[in-house]
Amino acid sequence: MGANRCRDPIIVVEDLYINFYTYAGIVKAIDGVSFCIERGETYCLVGETGCGKSVTSRALTRLILPPGKIERGRILYYPEPGKVVDIMKLSEEELRMIRGDEITYIFQDPGTALDPLYTIGYQISETMLVHGYINRIKEGISKAIQLLKETLIPDSEQRAKSYPHELSGGMKQRAVIATSLANRPKLIIADEPTTALDATVQAQIMELLRNLKKQRGLTILLITHNMGLVAEMCDRVGVMYAGQLVEEAPTEELFQNPLHPYTRALLRAVPNPLKKIEKLESIPGTVPNLIYPPPGCRFHPRCAHVMDTCRRQKPMFIRVGDKHYVSCWLYSRR
Amino acid sequence: MADLRRFLIRRFITFIPTLIGATLLVYFVAAIVPGNPARLWAGGEKASAEVVQRIIEEYKLNEPWYIQYYYFMKMVLTGKAISPVTHTNVWAEVLDRFKTVTLPLTLLSFIFIIVIGIPLGIISAIKKDTVIDMILRIFALTGISMPIFWLAYLLIAALTGRGLVTLAGFPMPDYSITGIPLIDGLLKGDFEYLSQLLKRLWLPSLLLSYAGIGVLVRLVRNSFLDAYSSDFVDFMIARGFPRRRMYIHVLRNALAPIVTVLGLQFGGLLAGAVITETIFGLPGMGSYMIRAINNFDYLSLMAGVLYVAIIFMIVNLIVDILYAVIDPRVRY
Repeated sequence: MGANRCRDPIIVVEDLYINFYTYAGIVKAIDGVSFCIERGETYCLVGETGCGKSVTSRALTRLILPPGKIERGRILYYPEPGKVVDIMKLSEEELRMIRGDEITYIFQDPGTALDPLYTIGYQISETMLVHGYINRIKEGISKAIQLLKETLIPDSEQRAKSYPHELSGGMKQRAVIATSLANRPKLIIADEPTTALDATVQAQIMELLRNLKKQRGLTILLITHNMGLVAEMCDRVGVMYAGQLVEEAPTEELFQNPLHPYTRALLRAVPNPLKKIEKLESIPGTVPNLIYPPPGCRFHPRCAHVMDTCRRQKPMFIRVGDKHYVSCWLYSRR
Repeated sequence: MADLRRFLIRRFITFIPTLIGATLLVYFVAAIVPGNPARLWAGGEKASAEVVQRIIEEYKLNEPWYIQYYYFMKMVLTGKAISPVTHTNVWAEVLDRFKTVTLPLTLLSFIFIIVIGIPLGIISAIKKDTVIDMILRIFALTGISMPIFWLAYLLIAALTGRGLVTLAGFPMPDYSITGIPLIDGLLKGDFEYLSQLLKRLWLPSLLLSYAGIGVLVRLVRNSFLDAYSSDFVDFMIARGFPRRRMYIHVLRNALAPIVTVLGLQFGGLLAGAVITETIFGLPGMGSYMIRAINNFDYLSLMAGVLYVAIIFMIVNLIVDILYAVIDPRVRY
């Protein structure tokens, strides 16, 4: 099903299930997620904290550490059109060669993503070293400086010799972005890249990502809970709730015509700066406990339009318009 | 570099009050122990009252303890102190014991602690919650809690018959370059002597180091795991780092507490080998100081404490400098 939604996919995820085996019980974190990312687009995953956006993005290179486990599902990576790699069948070593080379990550907190004991230049260079592009750290330093320039770090020769603690948060995130560009990235997975940064830096980092994408022809998977960023950056959006993809649509379509009750509530919760706000909207209820997820549609306990079917059966992910898909019984009946 | 020099000067200045504190404390405890040192030094029960009186006057044993302390320290520091018990210069014996026995014993034990403790700790961390980890943790706990004399006699009984251990005497080379047999042997490349020395010292060193190894295995395991759970490790996995490379990063991040404890253990080895020295008949600093305490030999005691304290402080100074080598965030 997932593959059908894209013409030239770079990643196709089908029917992904991920559980976390904790002391409290089995957390059913990802429950049958399917989606695909078109080559060259910016795809966004949105949803509240704990809905499984990060886990899903990490699963793309099987970067799920114990006690997490990918139970089943297919993850197909297309390095070039027509060439397919089955991520689930790769060995650890083959995966390692893809991670940080063709598929790279940018994590939320640049303050802790870098080893505090090594210089920025060393760590960028090391990223090339572990993928065999260079043989010694020293060979990579000039490339590292060039990458720092590309990510618009002023005084990049000096910065390459700096330690992470000598850089500001925004600079650190630029350095992290530079490491993710060090090899031959095709897909960059940016997991809330600006959440830990302040608002002005946020805009700069997003501008940088957008320019890099254009210059290098990258594909970006952006994970965020910031609807403003979604509107600004993304081509298509997938909305996740409690480990399930509940709606997917091109960005404009989603903002103009949100269908799933959760998506609607989510958009209502975003304050409009042009209107005087009496009371900030919120979604009643809380995110369900995923050890004992609600049966049927996982959103039904909080849904204003709940029906009998919702409590019993999981809705199908159906097509409701051009590239617009939703998983809700309200639209399945027609 | 200027920072380092300022730091060193500052630290050397703090050495002085530390030394005064250490010796004062030791002297105070030794001096309040009831007993009659003058009579003991004069030869015990049969000593004539005249000789006892002379000793009391010579060593100012009538004065309050702080005057005595000042007086003894002055004698020790000017190098003129003659032990009233052994009638030799206290420094001569301290240096002799240190150079021949305590230094090689300490170094060997220290090497054992490092080359056994660190790798086992890392293995224990990497194999966390497996059978290997459990065995290593039991091994470490045994080291911490096992009485050394019990294990020592067990191993002596098992090994002496096979010629792997020698217990009598202490081998000395027939030449002297630096006066330290271990270093002289190394300088000359005298492997026959070195093997004799090793045969005499490997078992006591190993036993002496066992407790330290136990502590270190647990410490390395925990700080390694601690560092391993950092976000930067996650990011290294995401960048496709092979395991061995990640372990190097993790180990360096875990190193600060390890180096601290190693520095403290070095001090413990220097002066805390009394039981080992007694079992193996080694004339080292530990037994020297015990003898000094038993004989109220304050001068020898002061010299021993001073010497050990100075070396201990230097080792800890090195540890402090190493912090900055390990971690660029550390500034003096």
